[in-house]
Amino acid sequence: MDEFASRHYPVREDMRFQRRSWMVERAGWLLLASIAGLGLTGVFGMGPLSVAQAGSGPLTVRYDRFQRATRTVEFVFTVAPSASTEIALHLNPAFQRDFEVVSVSPGSLRGRLGDAGYDMAFARRAGAESRIVIWARPRHYGLSRLAAATGDAAPAKFWVFVYP
Amino acid sequence: MDSVIKAAVVFFALWAIVRITGRRTLGEMTAFDFVLFLIIGGSTQRAITGQDYSLTNALLLVATFVSLDIGLSLAVVKWPAARHILNAMPMILVDNGDMLTGRMRRARVTEDNILEAARRLHGLERIDQIKFAILEATGEITIVPAATGSRAVPAPAP
Repeated sequence: MDEFASRHYPVREDMRFQRRSWMVERAGWLLLASIAGLGLTGVFGMGPLSVAQAGSGPLTVRYDRFQRATRTVEFVFTVAPSASTEIALHLNPAFQRDFEVVSVSPGSLRGRLGDAGYDMAFARRAGAESRIVIWARPRHYGLSRLAAATGDAAPAKFWVFVYP
Repeated sequence: MDSVIKAAVVFFALWAIVRITGRRTLGEMTAFDFVLFLIIGGSTQRAITGQDYSLTNALLLVATFVSLDIGLSLAVVKWPAARHILNAMPMILVDNGDMLTGRMRRARVTEDNILEAARRLHGLERIDQIKFAILEATGEITIVPAATGSRAVPAPAP
């Protein structure tokens, strides 16, 4: 008798279904291994494919394009040197809607929250490059389209996807 | 609402993962498998509860998990076709003393696994003393011994 033929005693087998189950199992193993492999690349956050940079000229922002709900992440803003002793950083309303700011370094001189988003002012040393770090936690899952600007320069636009 | 949805997602995701790992893991759990299941439990627990350690949340989660479990058991009773999908199905691995090696390989069951079950359940020593070895839906291996008269002579001492 063929090894893979269904037998009916002492148990009733359905080897056709069993073969399909094995195929699904193998596909499932591949899927699980793929998820683990993709995890290493940073597609689910915290990896090489996740680290991104947006903007150029007066303002650049380094961030994680893939983030996870409840995990605090950092946005690093680098402001090019200028003669001014103050930096005015503007974050669009989506930032306010989609993220809860946990901490800002260095501390801001002033801050204003309005319909147009966050406006913050920071002290700076004239002629030196400045770095501002904002730690924030996503408020919900999904895609966020963010923008940051300093002064009158064109904003640095970027997107962030938050996994559940 | 969030808790119930999270619990349901985790329940079905874990069910799918356990189902595709195959019965081998469930029935013949090694020490490492046990540790693995502890880790899975610990990893998912925080994702489900989040920051909410309230009694209400705990009751919601337990109610969701138990309801889903009962729902699946009712589905198995009501729709026999669902039984195979949800619980797998029994499969013969030894037929009248012959090992069905192709099936064993695919089910990741070794001769040692079958002999272990034979020793534990019936004190049998060799494959030819087994009439049927069956990999049950639960992942356990059950043994039907060959009739006493048809048993081969005991293996000689080395």
